[in-house]
Parts: sequence; structure tokens; C-alpha cells
Amino acid sequence: MTMSPELWELAVEEIAGRVRAREVSASEVLESCLDRTAKVEPLVAAYLEVFEDEARERAAEIDRRLAAGEDPGRLAGVPVALKDNLSLEGHALTCASRILAGYVAPYTATAVARLLAAGAVLVGRNNMDEFAMGSSCENSAFQRTRNPWHLGAVPGGSSGGPAAAVAAGSVPLAFGSDTGGSIRQPAALCGVVGVKPTYGRVSRYGLVAFASSTDQIGPIARNVRDAALALEVIAGADPHDATCAAEPVGDYLAEIDRGIAGLKVGVIREIGDAALSGAAARNWRQSLDRLAAAGAELVEVSVPSLDAAVAIYYVIATSEASANLARFDGVRYGHRSEQADNLIDLYFDSRSEGFGPEVKRRIMLGTFALSSGYYKAYYGRARGVLERMRQELATAFERADVVVTPTTPTAAFRLGEKVDDPLAMYLSDVFTTPASLVGLPTVAVPSGLDDEGLPLSLQIMGRPFGEATVFRASRAFERAAGFAVAPSFRGAEAG
Amino acid sequence: MALTHEEVRKIATLARLRFTPEEEARLTGQLARIVDYIDQLQTYEGAEPDLGSEGVHESEDQPAECLPREKFLANAPASLDGFLLVPEVKGGGNDDDVA
Repeated sequence: MTMSPELWELAVEEIAGRVRAREVSASEVLESCLDRTAKVEPLVAAYLEVFEDEARERAAEIDRRLAAGEDPGRLAGVPVALKDNLSLEGHALTCASRILAGYVAPYTATAVARLLAAGAVLVGRNNMDEFAMGSSCENSAFQRTRNPWHLGAVPGGSSGGPAAAVAAGSVPLAFGSDTGGSIRQPAALCGVVGVKPTYGRVSRYGLVAFASSTDQIGPIARNVRDAALALEVIAGADPHDATCAAEPVGDYLAEIDRGIAGLKVGVIREIGDAALSGAAARNWRQSLDRLAAAGAELVEVSVPSLDAAVAIYYVIATSEASANLARFDGVRYGHRSEQADNLIDLYFDSRSEGFGPEVKRRIMLGTFALSSGYYKAYYGRARGVLERMRQELATAFERADVVVTPTTPTAAFRLGEKVDDPLAMYLSDVFTTPASLVGLPTVAVPSGLDDEGLPLSLQIMGRPFGEATVFRASRAFERAAGFAVAPSFRGAEAG
Repeated sequence: MALTHEEVRKIATLARLRFTPEEEARLTGQLARIVDYIDQLQTYEGAEPDLGSEGVHESEDQPAECLPREKFLANAPASLDGFLLVPEVKGGGNDDDVA
């Protein structure tokens, strides 16, 4: 006898379909997810806030509208969680930083408004690395989020809360932001699907800025079709964000199940065995074999500057961060130091009290890279090597429809393992930073487990605005990999 | 390149950040390691940067309503009669240290 799945286990598409057909109510779906959240949240700590009452009212409203014959939209009754750098009017917005203590979002982000317009039920704010700076979620000023597959391991970052919430079954869909891998890396470490759209595909209006030349909002879901549907809902032009592209949003689901036969999959020659070890190396080769067996034509491409990606990224992203975070000065919003009796000291004291160590480190690094005497040698040089990488990837995409890499060099590492070594933490972004720097659409898809039973992931990159092709390849790989999102919540004693 | 304590102090002033001597010592070591790593960029041949991003278009500059003053001020640490309130503007800081 097979047990029918609980409502919290259902995919986004199925929830919305059944709610719209009135086979199940939005309120029933929400209660199932809230029950699940009550069970797993004490273990995982993915949320900074769950707005249960408001979510219940919202679900009841969706049900009333359905009863009145209205269609609430493509995400009708789907419970959704948000990384805490996405604005929702009237709600606290902290970026997991003390410097935003007391801040209440005065307006709603465009992407979030589109979720609401599609009938989604927002359930809470997820934990993250402070200001989206980190790869383990350990830079949150408030709490440590744990990996549902092993509670002694990190969920990845910076969107560790959204990824852990989806993996744990608390919500079928969450949204994060990705600046150098902040959606894809935690999705990989938590065994779920994460999407970084093309730069300009999704409006950033209402997203707290970190590095404006790469920041993008994207979905995290338990399967590729759900992620594609979710991106369709939030993507598209927005007059509030001048960097948001006018390109029409494709129908990502139309050809998503067409399979990978006929697509050329680029494999970067420079990803040698040296970059990966043990289970990660075996899994990478197995992923390539699976793509070939599914009918993809594997072609070798070359990106000689791949090894420079982390260095380029940590110059450019920190430079932009140092400028973007200058606005937190204790004057207009957020934390204000009580010890300053003049304006200059107010800036120094408010910022020094409010920002955590990693944010300060990155502001310092960016200020250094932009300072007179060093600008040309660091920022200028990074831009130059980035341009080379852009050309190399453009050449690769003349030969290939998509390009694949592992999403991360290893599975989830232990809590505390890299906190005292910022450079080691940065190096976990080695495969995710190129697509960020060049602005390419990229999906992280679970590819198997390592020897400890922790998830590994394949990253699939496409041409700018080539989301439909990336989703098609990702869906084909997902079917070939046959991965089950079934975290064990073991290792509670490990810290 | 080797990053000195003096440089770290100068950058901190530019960034409007203060550090205790212990924090500064740790930070100097960490930043030095990161900058050493970043120095590998000097071994790569760069290309001429293209500062525009393909596929991204600038919107027309059209006047529109902005956030109402009272909504903005609701987040202000201190305000008076519809304006932000700050302490005395003169004095403080150590900008003079920066050449």
C-alpha cells in the first residue's frame, strides 16, 4: 500500500493545480506546511520570523476568492518563504544584520509583489549571511541555520535559510538572491534546485543591494519544473529597476520536458581532477556520463581564466559593496550609535557597532581596491580579467548550448569549519562566480550524494536570456539523476 | 603586496569603520592573505573592459512619485518637524589622518 503524500510534500505545480481546482484549500496546504515547520524548525532554524497569523488570513482570502469564482493565479495557495533581504511592506527587513535593527520595509519588492499577484501565501523571513555575504549562513547576526541532511553541517550561503526551509519541507518554494553563488551554493548543499537568472531578468527593486553588477533574485524549489514556473512569475521588465531587461519572458515550461537529445553540453577543460576529490570527482564524472546517456552531445570548451574567478569576484563584489553599504550611516534608518556627539563619529560608531566581522572585512577590501594608488592595480585589473573571462565564455557558447560544472567543489562542510579562514570560505564559490560575473542564467540541480550521504550538485549555465534551454537541460539531468529530496535530520548531537 | 597596519587604519578611516587593536591585528592578517590571493590577477592578461552590459537597457528618466516623507521618516532613528535629526555636524572623526 502506498501512503498518499502529505500536502507539504507536494510540488508547487501540484499545489497550485489542486487549489485552483478546489480539490484542496489553500488553508489546508498552509496548515500542513506550518505543522511541518513546527516540527523541523527547532532542528534547522531556517527562519528569522514565521508570520503564521498573517499567512492564515491570506490563505483564507485565497480560498474565499476561489469560492467566489476568481482565479488567484499560477501560485494559488503555494506557501512561500523569503530571504530577509527582500522587502515586504510593513514587515521587518534585517539582512540578518544588527545595523537594520528596527527597520520596517516601507514598500514591497517587485518580485514579491508578483508572487502575491500570482496567489502565493508568504509564510516568513529566512535567515541568511549578513547582507548576503557568506557561504555558510554563519555570518547571520542572529542564529545558525543547520543543514537538514546533517545538522552539524552548514546549509551553505548566503541564502542558507531559504535552501534549508525548502529541503526540510517547510515550504515548497523560497526566494533568495545570488551575487556570487548565494542561491546555487546553498541549494547544492541542501539537495534542492536553485536558479540564478540572467542579469537583468528579474527586477531588483526592493532587494537590498550588495553588488549591483551581479545581484539577482531567484527561486529555490524541490524540482526543476517548480523553479521554472516560479521564475516565470517574477521575471520581466519593471519601470522601478533601470537594469531590468525589456526582453520578453519565455514560456519556460513549454519545452522543458523535451529532453536533452540534440543539445550540445560544454564541459570546461580546465576543471581537472585537481579541483575535485573523492566522491565529488566521481559524481562529476557520473553526471557527465548521465548527460551523454540521456542523449546530450558533450563538447569540450576552454575557459582558461576560470581559476581567476574567485579573485575577480572578491575585488568587484567588495568594491561595489563598499559603495552600496555606505548608506548605512545611522542617519536615515537602522541602528544609530548612542555614544556619538557629532556627525562624523555617528557614522563611525553606528557602522562599527552595527556591521558584523565579515561585512566589515568586505567593506575594507572593497575600499582598499577602490582607493587611490590601488584602484588600477586591483579594480582595474579585475575588470580586465573579467572581460577576458566574458570573451572566453562567449566563445564557449558558440560551440555549446549549455555549459556544465559542479556547483561546488565539495558537499556541505561542518559548522565552524571555515569561520576563521575567510579565504577558504571564499574558495567554495569557485564554480559559481563566473556565471555571476558574466551575468549568465544558471541552475543548480542535485546530482547525487557523497560518501557521507550529503548532496552534491551539477551547475548548468546558458546564454544570456537562455533560461528556457537551461531549464530544459536541467530537467533532463534531473530525470537522469533520479535524486530524492529526503534529508535525514541526523547529527543533532554534532553541535 | 604586504598590507601594513598603517594602510589598514587608513582604509578603515575611508570606510568609516573603527577597530580595536586586537580586531585590527586579526584583520590585517586576514586582508593580507586575501590580497595575496587576489594578486594572482597580475599574472593574467586582461582585455579591454566593456563597461556596458549586453541585454540591459537604460530606462527613460521620467519623473514619478517617490516614497512619501512620513513613510521614509518612520524608519529614521530621530526626526523633527519632518526632517532627519543628527548630532552636531562639526568636529569628530580623524579624516585629517588621511593624506
